[in-house]
Amino acid sequence: MRIIGPDELIFGVDNLEASRAFLVDYGLTDVGNDTFEALDGTAITLRARDDASLPAALETGSMLRRTIWGVEDQASLDAIETELSKDREIVKNDGQLLTKDDAGFEIGFQLTRRRPLDLPAEMINSPGAKPGRAPNEIAANEDAEAKPRSLSHIVYFVPDMDVMANFYIDRLQFVITDKFTNTGPFLRPQANNDHHVLFMIQTPPYMQGLEHLAFHMQGPTELMLAGSRMVKKGYESFWGPGRHKFGSNWFWYFNSPLGTHVEYDADMDHHDGDWIHREGPMGPEQAQMFLFENVEKWAPGGPPPGKGGKPE
Amino acid sequence: MSNWAARELDRPLCRVADLPEGQSVGFDPLDEGRDTMFVVRKGDTVHAWRNLCPHYDRARMAWKKDEFLNGDRSRIMCAAHGALFRIEDGVCEIGPCVGQSLTPVPVRLHDGALWIVGEYAPGFRR
Repeated sequence: MRIIGPDELIFGVDNLEASRAFLVDYGLTDVGNDTFEALDGTAITLRARDDASLPAALETGSMLRRTIWGVEDQASLDAIETELSKDREIVKNDGQLLTKDDAGFEIGFQLTRRRPLDLPAEMINSPGAKPGRAPNEIAANEDAEAKPRSLSHIVYFVPDMDVMANFYIDRLQFVITDKFTNTGPFLRPQANNDHHVLFMIQTPPYMQGLEHLAFHMQGPTELMLAGSRMVKKGYESFWGPGRHKFGSNWFWYFNSPLGTHVEYDADMDHHDGDWIHREGPMGPEQAQMFLFENVEKWAPGGPPPGKGGKPE
Repeated sequence: MSNWAARELDRPLCRVADLPEGQSVGFDPLDEGRDTMFVVRKGDTVHAWRNLCPHYDRARMAWKKDEFLNGDRSRIMCAAHGALFRIEDGVCEIGPCVGQSLTPVPVRLHDGALWIVGEYAPGFRR
């Protein structure tokens, strides 16, 4: 089953205006009908909480109403339909297969809406390595657009991580890349080398919902640039910037009016079938390699304040 | 440099008349660089809470400067995971910390100004 990753997340929010402004400021592009796209066409779609087109909300109040997974080809879509229709109802709607996973989250599958990207990576110069940039090519560009490139991953709060993980592993052929003991596994689908497109955190049932969603940025510099622009606009930095251990991705998380953390990530590890997953305890040491906090800009000067400059 | 110990403040937070009715406003009483508390004025009453969601240690709650409420401003909302709290008593009615409460900040009104009563402890993780 050639599942690539999350294509689109659909939310039912109680503050549409604030949510629209947030997603645009975050860097997504408003393409109409309250759909906000990354550069490759992966998207977040907003609806009012009581919009009749939305599936029923979870009792927990989570604003995430459906996760649409993108698949590579029709054969995969057919295989998913065959597999899941064994034990649940599947609604076919406009090329999408709509159903629920074993945790009760509304999910869908479609031929991916992702457009192939042909964009440069962040290029660096490093002693001993071939230069990443030509002479006179400047790296520090404050005017860089720094737009999210692709919907990277989602992290659910789930009441039974084993039930949830087994559904994606046994039924949809996801594989475990790493594991936090007693918290949950990181999962990668067949048609994506990213360390994770799906992670879950074991919680009591009253917490079921979305811990965060994340989009890939070009690299750490654009992640820092986009995040510092968010801070400057008054948005609430929650965690980061820093760099995770599992997945190696740089991260910066923000609160959002969608009632979930929204993360920028960059430079995640790729894995293939040869990888053997690691396991570690969830905790501050394991959750990141290092962690920083944004502060006001500052510059060095010459003498202490009021001590004058060059002698006359 | 600032002193990061809890201390009494020698100045009020604001003039009560400057607080918009039914809206939230964040404050940083110890100049820590981030709002560590917020208030919501309802008529003559000012409800004051620490900017700490009981869900995670030191979890900050707004989604933007001064934005601590849900869409229709009927509840305090933690914009980390959508937990909803009653404005009047800080009890979480739905969300990750259901049944738990926000930490109140004792305040009093004096000569049209809003003061914190007693010592105020830093709230920023460092």
